[in-house]
Amino acid sequence: MSAEEKAAPPRAKDGHVHLHLAPSASEGSSSKRGWDRTRWLVVVCGVASVLLFAISFFRPWWSFKLYAPQYPQGLNLEISLTGMGGDVHEIDLLNHYIGMKHLATAAQVERHLAGYGVAAIGIVTLSLVMVAGKKLNRLLVVPALAFPSVFLADSFYWLYSYGHQLDPKAPLHIAPFTPEMFGNGKIGQFETFASPSLGFWLAVAGALLAVIGAVVRSRVCAGCSRAGTCAAVCPRLMVLPDAPVRP
Amino acid sequence: MRSHTIAASLILAGGVVCAAFVGCENQHEAQEKKAAAGNLGASASLADLMKARNLNESDVEAALKTYVPTGKMDEYYIFASGGQSGNVDVIGVPSMRMLKVIGVFTPESWQGYGYGGDSDKVLESGNQGAFGWPGAPHKIRWADMHHPNLSETKGDYDGQFLFVNDKANARVAVVDLADFSTKQIVANPLAASDHGGAFVTPNTDYVIETSQYPAPLGREYAPLSQYKEKYRGVAIFWKFDRTKGRIDPAQSWALELPPYTQDLADAGKLDSDGWAFINSFNTEMAIGGTIDGKPPIESGSSQNDMDYLHVINWKKAESLVAAGKAKIIAGMRVLTMDVSAPEGVLSLIGEPKSPHGCDVTPDGKAIVVGGKLDTHATIYDVAKIKALVEAKKYEGKDAYGVGILPFKDSIQGQVEVGLGPLHTVFDDKGNAFTSVFIESVVAKWSYKDFKQPVEKLKVHYNIGHILSAEGDTVSPDGKYLVAMNKMSMDRFLPVGPLYPQNFQLVDLTGEKMRLIADMPIGNAEPHYSQMIKADKLKPLKVYKPGTNSVTMSVDPNHAEGGKERIVRNGNKVEVFMTAIRSHFTPDQIEVDEGDDVTIHITSLETAEDQTHGFTIDMYNLNVSLEPGKNENISFKADMPGTFPMYCTEFCSALHLEMTGYFLVKPKKK
Repeated sequence: MSAEEKAAPPRAKDGHVHLHLAPSASEGSSSKRGWDRTRWLVVVCGVASVLLFAISFFRPWWSFKLYAPQYPQGLNLEISLTGMGGDVHEIDLLNHYIGMKHLATAAQVERHLAGYGVAAIGIVTLSLVMVAGKKLNRLLVVPALAFPSVFLADSFYWLYSYGHQLDPKAPLHIAPFTPEMFGNGKIGQFETFASPSLGFWLAVAGALLAVIGAVVRSRVCAGCSRAGTCAAVCPRLMVLPDAPVRP
Repeated sequence: MRSHTIAASLILAGGVVCAAFVGCENQHEAQEKKAAAGNLGASASLADLMKARNLNESDVEAALKTYVPTGKMDEYYIFASGGQSGNVDVIGVPSMRMLKVIGVFTPESWQGYGYGGDSDKVLESGNQGAFGWPGAPHKIRWADMHHPNLSETKGDYDGQFLFVNDKANARVAVVDLADFSTKQIVANPLAASDHGGAFVTPNTDYVIETSQYPAPLGREYAPLSQYKEKYRGVAIFWKFDRTKGRIDPAQSWALELPPYTQDLADAGKLDSDGWAFINSFNTEMAIGGTIDGKPPIESGSSQNDMDYLHVINWKKAESLVAAGKAKIIAGMRVLTMDVSAPEGVLSLIGEPKSPHGCDVTPDGKAIVVGGKLDTHATIYDVAKIKALVEAKKYEGKDAYGVGILPFKDSIQGQVEVGLGPLHTVFDDKGNAFTSVFIESVVAKWSYKDFKQPVEKLKVHYNIGHILSAEGDTVSPDGKYLVAMNKMSMDRFLPVGPLYPQNFQLVDLTGEKMRLIADMPIGNAEPHYSQMIKADKLKPLKVYKPGTNSVTMSVDPNHAEGGKERIVRNGNKVEVFMTAIRSHFTPDQIEVDEGDDVTIHITSLETAEDQTHGFTIDMYNLNVSLEPGKNENISFKADMPGTFPMYCTEFCSALHLEMTGYFLVKPKKK
């Protein structure tokens, strides 16, 4: 690593540290070791991303807090990939007045498949990190970015759908609505506050790492000695030594 | 405030840790209080006290407004329904101190109410059965007391009597405020439950009791499949005889109503005198069937956007009954709908939606109906209604032939008061105060010009009924209001999963409503209450010597000092006994097992607050002997043995010595 890189990273005006993750062209030619470390950085990003996804699987992704005069402490609803926690019973009970379906009936398929989905995303992400060649390496970001996005879209779909399929025979008739997914909303006497929870942020962090990995990866591939022969599969599997290819 | 803070932190941080937020808020509050304490400029010791007790200026002001030092008295009485306790709670305002619990539907052992004395007969008269049922009536010793109503003269409280209803067992009781004791329980022969009661007409000619859950009149069996044909609502007009202080069932009559679930009621006054108004919900006539997968009544009864306000011309009904147009059902004169509807005695008007409170304004010109499932208070115009009924301008008839008046032509307007409006009371300035259940607020608005709520006051929590000082009379006092909250949650020390109710006293004297005191009600869930100026009541301090407190006259069998005696007549033993500090005469009674014993016991005390009690151990007997009072205790000496009898009220220094023996000699074997 160059002396420049060993020194404490400079802070930009905004106070953030801007790391130079990929070596510049001049550095690339001067330091072969640094080049390999960059390869490892890609692997670390990929593995860390998958790890974060795995942890996020066990953590709540979204939280709703509902305040009403008679609930001064508020009611909580925490959504995770496999289910929901908090005051589900009480919220269901209140929802029956406006004819909303039980929360547990929502997204059943998604919740059953979530485990396989996370596993698949992990495997695909790792495979892309290790195996994908120059032509496929950008695909690395797809499953990772899709993971939190699909969750968001799917949650929105269910919120919309439950807010628009109110039982017309319910005691209280209210206009169809979509519960707020971000920030504050109001349903009847309830002030609602929705925000992402740890799981979601972990997944976002995981996705960011995957994106960083992909960006670094493309630099790595661009400077790779086997760039000419590389196609769908990385001939060095990212980390193998840069030895000549045997005939 | 809270919501904005949290919303802001959400937007800024994209997430929020709630605990941190709550922490901040508390800190903020504490800082505010600290600042306020510093600003008071009060004496150093007061400021220190405020600091030590963490009170701010507003707290201190509330304390000053409610504190009643020893030796001084409250300004108002509240007569609160004791809910499931079946008894009446008497509370002083503004101190919010409990003054007394009057035994009404439920035995009350301190007052010896229902423990062997004369009051047993009062409770017995409240036993209920079903029409045509050959069995003995059920002994009912509890009640779901809902709505106390003070007697009125010209629409104003006169402080003489209190009427209360028992929703669960369809009964009405009369409490005499001369001695704060129950004189009569009238068992309704027609209804199976009641709710719209006990409401009095402006001169207390009638006490109105309206059924709640429909049932065949007389409560006879009819399958639910015949709900529409056989089930009915009913409004009883109990005739009150003020000179006797009793309801006279023989002079009373009833109006048959459709099987909608009638709810709250009110009698008209001034312009609306002679009329009565009753809410209803479940005009859908839903009967549930949850076990068969049918919708529960809660949703079945909430389908229609409009239910019916029942408009009753009771003066006309009275004359029809007097003219012999009534039918006798379960021994009572009932004006059936086929008679009352064509005569315009009973009419309906739409009212939104599953309404609750039905309150006539002080001027008698309007009726305010709380929408419950509608966010409005609807104000009906009495003059318009009368004209419509007079002209028979019905827009249609219901399935029972009762004319329906056009809603739009019957109202003065609507005011949006919030989520779940229930009851409305009034002040002396043309303001109405509506309890808004779901929002947990009191909404203040003007019933003179229907301003939108000028003000909402948060109360804690789930306010049901509401009361203000003489707030349902022709001349409300303003001044105080009480929010009767169903939940207290975080307001009092925890006492297990059954929480006290919360009465919150609100000061109406300022520009804005102000909450000045909380009072936990730890004996039941009260419903309605009324607040009367204390000087309107002139309760007895002592009884005239020998008074039977049920009849309020000198008991022919009372005992006199020097004439105490035990009279035996076969197996009947009669004891004429006196009680005075600190002995009973006689203090030894011996009877044979199986004797019928009657003890006439009279207190010879004449000084106020010199009360004795009398019990015979193990015989489930206890009477209270206020000065001058006589009690007649009858029982069978069916348990042989030795039983101390003693005074149960700490009467004097030698109270413990005020004792004696009741001996029951076993039968010879």
